[in-house]
Amino acid sequence: MGFTARLIRWARGRSPWILFINTGACNACDIEVVAALTPRFDLERFGVLLKGSPRHADILVVTGPVTRQVRDRLIRIYNQMPDPKFVVAAGTCATSGGVFWKCYNVYESLDKVIPVDAYISGCPVKPEAVVQAVNILAQKIMKG
Amino acid sequence: MSFYIPIGPQHPVHPEPLLMKFKVEGEQVVDVEINVSYTHRGIEKGFEYRDYLKGIYLAERICGICNAAHTVCYTQNIEQLLGKEIPPRAKYLRLIVEELSRIHSHLLWLGLAAHQIGFETLFMYVWRDRERVLDVIEAITGNRVVTSYNTIGGVRRDINPQIEHKIRKAMDYLEKRTKYFKKVIMEEPTVLMRTQNVGILKPREAIELFAVGPVLRASGIKHDVRADDPYIAHDEVPFNVATYDTCDVYARILVRIDEVLECINMIRYSLDHLPSGPYRLKLPIIIRPPPGESVSRVEAPRGELLHYVMSDGTEKPYRYKVRTPTLANIPATARMLTSRKNYVVYIADIPIIFGSIDPCLCCTGRVAFVDIEKGRSWVWSYSQLIKYSRERFERHD
Amino acid sequence: MNEKEIAEALKKKFGDKIIKCEIPMRRRVFVEVRREDYKEVVRFLLKDLDLKFVEAITALDGKDHFEVIAHVGYSVSVSVKAKIPREDPSIDSLYDIAPGVDLYEREAHDLVGIVFKGHPNLKRFILPENWPEGVYPLRKDYEAKHPEPLR
Repeated sequence: MGFTARLIRWARGRSPWILFINTGACNACDIEVVAALTPRFDLERFGVLLKGSPRHADILVVTGPVTRQVRDRLIRIYNQMPDPKFVVAAGTCATSGGVFWKCYNVYESLDKVIPVDAYISGCPVKPEAVVQAVNILAQKIMKG
Repeated sequence: MSFYIPIGPQHPVHPEPLLMKFKVEGEQVVDVEINVSYTHRGIEKGFEYRDYLKGIYLAERICGICNAAHTVCYTQNIEQLLGKEIPPRAKYLRLIVEELSRIHSHLLWLGLAAHQIGFETLFMYVWRDRERVLDVIEAITGNRVVTSYNTIGGVRRDINPQIEHKIRKAMDYLEKRTKYFKKVIMEEPTVLMRTQNVGILKPREAIELFAVGPVLRASGIKHDVRADDPYIAHDEVPFNVATYDTCDVYARILVRIDEVLECINMIRYSLDHLPSGPYRLKLPIIIRPPPGESVSRVEAPRGELLHYVMSDGTEKPYRYKVRTPTLANIPATARMLTSRKNYVVYIADIPIIFGSIDPCLCCTGRVAFVDIEKGRSWVWSYSQLIKYSRERFERHD
Repeated sequence: MNEKEIAEALKKKFGDKIIKCEIPMRRRVFVEVRREDYKEVVRFLLKDLDLKFVEAITALDGKDHFEVIAHVGYSVSVSVKAKIPREDPSIDSLYDIAPGVDLYEREAHDLVGIVFKGHPNLKRFILPENWPEGVYPLRKDYEAKHPEPLR
């Protein structure tokens, strides 16, 4: 690969910008993901920034089982993100539906709605697990 | 002309999607319509497919932050149906974990409210101290946030003297820090300017629209389920109900800080008077309560929580109903957000007013505006709204 | 007022209109009334006995009828139940005596299909916009299933 392309790939991996969306979760995973940004666990030392707009983000972190109402919004945001993009399903609810079996308003897991690159288990996720997941994903981005 | 543009995850600090549609005239908000259906998961139907013990794990995940209150309410409901009384030690242990989760919830909210005003330092300080509470909860129950500590008939684990020592040390530290936060809130001019006389809800309106929790107590009405309808050990552990009567956002902040100080005292009292004995009743795994109905009420951190169950004698409930406190506060919030004669609500006040009810169905939504006078409409994201409100106040200084 | 006094006051005021009145435990009263007297009983509890708050409205699907339960209470919680026939699932709305029940009645309408006569704005509240009309999830003939996956 050419030098510029390798440089760009390295730069992307060193500063992944995150977009966070809650698709009907109980809030526990959300506060743990936000806690990963507080000084104790400090995600920002990896160059990670939490952004507000889909057009600025590399990684989409999704929590919660996907409810019917949120589905269209989620797909629209996924389409608005520029390539290359990665999706992380945080929490057991996003990975496989969690406890919400036989609840009529939720899809069974996130990968039944959009393609997923990484899964973090836990109910709720531990902030250390979020830090590790972002790290592994960043390594993968740098290697291509 | 107005249009809805659907939700985007605009601000990660506010989980849970929600859509609000405002009608504005210039800078003033005239009307509001709130749509909270984005987190409807169909849980009440889910209860009917699970037996009673599995239902605890579903009830916990209705709200991750007030999960202790939901499990206390659920297990209490089933115990009332069965007609059983839990051992005294279990009541005190349940109380300790419930009050710890209330401290956690109020500190979390205080950090978010500070963030909405623009006070980032306070946000980071408060969330650092919140980690202390989570350490204590993890030592007692095994998990930080969604704990599953309660079960039908009592609690699942006991505490030993090392854990007790850890709780006491954490309480001393938190008391010092909370008093410091209270001093900061009462003396800092930016906080006072943004929160006094903003988001007024008069006492008559609060009763008429059935507001609950700190929103009600900040309008001067002294109603707390722990005092009026005591459950678990609240009839034996003394405490004061915190009320203020200025009816604005400032009063709500002070009510919650005072409640944290009361919780610290209650935990210390419970540890001093912890009875000995068993910490759970032995009950079968599949429970078949006799046919009947039961209502259980608990004071969650956000307000009064009500669960209703009807059983038909089988191992699954016939109907389970949950009424959460934030749903009860939504009509009162809509009233707080509309301008009337003598009371004006500016667009820049919207984040802090909505945040002051401690919404558990919270605002990651996009907010749509319709300007009646000029006939134009526009859509902002929530972080744009917060940025606008902060800039507005900086210009005024 | 404690629960026994409330039960006595209800019996004295309404006499035969109370079909059943039970006190299963302290600070709880369960009352059953006819559909026509439901609003009057709730108004009596709310204003005359000064119980102040309607905490929730529950709607459920009994075997051959529907039930609407209003939970009223301050320190004692009184549950007022009214049975309504399946062919005509409608009952008076409490909106004009208690404007705070707005959202509770809309939710009951969405989930069980009860029509509250006199409610000014009984439109969809909790279910998605494209949910089919006439399908009420909390009725016993609805079987819960997840939506079809997209991939």
